[in-house]
Amino acid sequence: MYSRKNQRDLTRTEKKRLVDAILELKRSGRYDDFVSLHRQYYVTDAESRPRPAHMTPSFFPWHRRYLLEFEKALRAVDPRVSIPYWDWTRDNTASSSLWADDFLGGNGRPGDRQVMTGPFAYRQGNWRIRAGVTDDPFLRRNFGRPSSPVTLPAAADVERALKDPVYDTEPWNSVSTTGFRNRIEGWGIRGGRGVANHNRVHRWIGGSMAGAASPDDPVFWLHHAFIDLLWTRWQKAHPRSRYLPARELPAGDPQRDRIFPLDRPMPPWDVAPSQLMDHSRLYRYV
Amino acid sequence: MNPTDGTKGEPAGAPRPARRAVLRTAFTAAVIAGTGGALAPVLLGTQGPAGADRERGAVGPERFSELYKGREIRGTVTTTVPAGAQPYAAAPPDDGKQPHAGAQPYAGEAGAAAAVTGTEVSVDGRPLHVMRRADGSYLSTVNHYESFPTLLETARAAVDELGPAQLSAASPHTI
Ligand SMILES: [Cu+2]
Repeated sequence: MYSRKNQRDLTRTEKKRLVDAILELKRSGRYDDFVSLHRQYYVTDAESRPRPAHMTPSFFPWHRRYLLEFEKALRAVDPRVSIPYWDWTRDNTASSSLWADDFLGGNGRPGDRQVMTGPFAYRQGNWRIRAGVTDDPFLRRNFGRPSSPVTLPAAADVERALKDPVYDTEPWNSVSTTGFRNRIEGWGIRGGRGVANHNRVHRWIGGSMAGAASPDDPVFWLHHAFIDLLWTRWQKAHPRSRYLPARELPAGDPQRDRIFPLDRPMPPWDVAPSQLMDHSRLYRYV
Repeated sequence: MNPTDGTKGEPAGAPRPARRAVLRTAFTAAVIAGTGGALAPVLLGTQGPAGADRERGAVGPERFSELYKGREIRGTVTTTVPAGAQPYAAAPPDDGKQPHAGAQPYAGEAGAAAAVTGTEVSVDGRPLHVMRRADGSYLSTVNHYESFPTLLETARAAVDELGPAQLSAASPHTI
């Protein structure tokens, strides 16, 4: 049992330990395996393949497990480390301590958007992007995307999602208009709402985080820890609500073989959403 | 929870084979050759049955070639596979464990989007990998968390996000 803290509350020493553990995973090559795994499981809802990770009810449990694997790797390097969370409704500017030189470094520079500060700056020699979307070997960020400005989600956006008592709704994909899951995952709905919450944060950071290799930016983990915390908050707010779909969909439902109801094991770990509903014996949020 | 060691999936970054011409369909649309410098998406008639046009909806097959913020963007659709053309024609290309490198796409259910087969989008000659959502909109490897109604908008958004960067020539395809 360990704690996941708000990143704004970390001490200098805690930040340094986390950064050092991440750099060690990068050095050993394991970090890039995590990046590839996320990319490999990016399956869209126009495809007929199973999609455990995105545009799908199991968005929350899949990423919970993915973070647990990453955290296990970090803690094998340094058992005092855990993944902190970034509450982007609160620390919502480029001057947040999150982006300081002693933690994740700042925005990309004008022009090539290369991150020049902090431990993940290319020039520090420890953070080479190997299989990114572009040829660039450096981490890219483009806060707020000035060419077509985007803001971070507000607390009210999160509140609206948390108020929805239904976990997810058919058609169980990126066009589900109600339900907590897609309100947080945040796919834009044509003629309805715009890009929201989880997706919007990826977009606000921009550069590496906007694309297929988003975990190349270590902020990915802090962002997703907050998403994981929001799931826990939703569960507490709606104690009688349950993960949906609870059972296999009927034969003939186009989503039947593509999504993961409560008890269907998710690749690559063969762990069902039902096994990931409660994290309280492993970690807690403080 | 039940921690396991199975973090690794397939070999990291295994290149996926090209996916051209993997879908056999009677509804193959006209092959669009060349790019005439059209600045807007050009709607193209298809040779398929009446439903083929309709299901593409507002997102017609397009081709374009333009200079956008100094970058040459091109898009060509060579094949259109209507949704519903091959409902479950193939078993999921999957052993139930994980999406394969090289798994073949197959058409979705009626009403969902067609597969993006034969869709080629490029920025300065480098391929931009494009996927679709269930509503027919497009995403690219550059913009993985938002989608666009047309390929042209997808390509322009990619240029905006890329800045001066070149797409990776060896980008592992996820479809
Ligand atoms: Cu993800």
